[in-house]
Amino acid sequence: MSDQQTPITEDEIHAYVDGSLAEHRREEIDRLLERDEALATKVSDYFSLNSMFHDRYDRVLSEPVPQRLLPPEPKRWRAAANWPQFAGMAAALVLGVGIGVAGMTGTMGHDTLMPGSGGGSVQRASYAVGESFARQSAIAHVMYAPEVMRPVEVGADREQELVQWISNRLGTDVRPPVLTRSGFELMGGRLLPGDDGPVAQFMYHDAKGERITLCISHRKISSDTTAFKLYQDGSVNVFYWIDGDFGYAVSGAIDRKVLLDLSHDVYSQLTAMGGAKAPSGASVSTQ
Amino acid sequence: MGVRDELMEHVPRLRRYARALINNRDLADDLVQDTLERALRHTEKFQSGTDLRAWLFTIMHNVFANQARRAGVKAVHVSVDDENISEREFAVQGTQTQSLEMRDLDFALQRLPLDQRQVVLLVGLEEMSYADVAQALEIPIGTVMSRLSRGRERLRALMAGAQPGAKLQVVR
Repeated sequence: MSDQQTPITEDEIHAYVDGSLAEHRREEIDRLLERDEALATKVSDYFSLNSMFHDRYDRVLSEPVPQRLLPPEPKRWRAAANWPQFAGMAAALVLGVGIGVAGMTGTMGHDTLMPGSGGGSVQRASYAVGESFARQSAIAHVMYAPEVMRPVEVGADREQELVQWISNRLGTDVRPPVLTRSGFELMGGRLLPGDDGPVAQFMYHDAKGERITLCISHRKISSDTTAFKLYQDGSVNVFYWIDGDFGYAVSGAIDRKVLLDLSHDVYSQLTAMGGAKAPSGASVSTQ
Repeated sequence: MGVRDELMEHVPRLRRYARALINNRDLADDLVQDTLERALRHTEKFQSGTDLRAWLFTIMHNVFANQARRAGVKAVHVSVDDENISEREFAVQGTQTQSLEMRDLDFALQRLPLDQRQVVLLVGLEEMSYADVAQALEIPIGTVMSRLSRGRERLRALMAGAQPGAKLQVVR
């Protein structure tokens, strides 16, 4: 090859083209290219190849992803496909939230905690059900998160008992997701009465003592997976969604972005096994 | 964010790479589908903190190697059956010359031995570092460099030899 007599190696020529060569060597090659026409042609061809790949194949990036590439459980997968839009959606919802809060203040007064509001609610569209679930979760959060003496009924130190108790009452296997990666430790949980039977409330706290709660309801009717929705009540933000016969709500008086990240985490753990279960490997540390 | 969500973000790029590798829309998407299914079955094997993309490409290459083995050489030399589609697209995008040049690229790529094609595309299209390519293909970095070098030279020769208007009848 034409560049064999130079100290510059073949590998360096490629690194030069791919932009990973150290600066001083790059300059040396620049100088060499002025003298060595064959090498200059070769390098230019290599550059063209890279740009031709992009010209030719980048169009695939903007093609809609075909349905069959959405994962095996269609409902959940569709929801997952929506994730990247959530951030934008949360922002868009801020507008709607003002109205929601204003409209809600009237009902706040006579809404008791998790009211059993009769069979009528079961018939409502899943959106409405989700919204009332979110409201109840927000109220439950406000009720129990500030609690000093007894924020939870069963503590994380008795996690097995907690899981068993809640699973029995909800009639399905329910495990609290592990949120340590996001900086939140499980404190424990309790059961609350809800429109659709008992609701599990798990409480977590971070190093600063900030508390968030996750409510899981095992609904009598199953409906399609909804996207994440944001509900706001005063300082409390709630991200909630419905997945088949489960409703989930993550509440906290913390930054909405942080809460959204936590909700992603919860979602991925709970859907990893299907239903309201966390991955089996994800046992809760009782530290 | 969980592995599943992150996975979705990689789908468009997996598709782009698979399309360049196989140059057949359906078969490329088959490959992506198989890759995703396998990745989802084995999310617990993914070590968080490591590069998800490299992991996915490793899976894709294993899946592809198995498929190619099963189907014999044919799977590797799949013909350019989305030619009609590309012609339509390029009619809008560029001149006729470009279109021919582009088809030359498809043709030349398919003529490249698979191991060279993978490296050339991972570096040139996916813009992966040589180290990431080595990780994804589970080969030493020296092998990455020699495949890259041979692959690029070969592609260059193939492109130079493919005259516009010459018969670009596609491999069987």
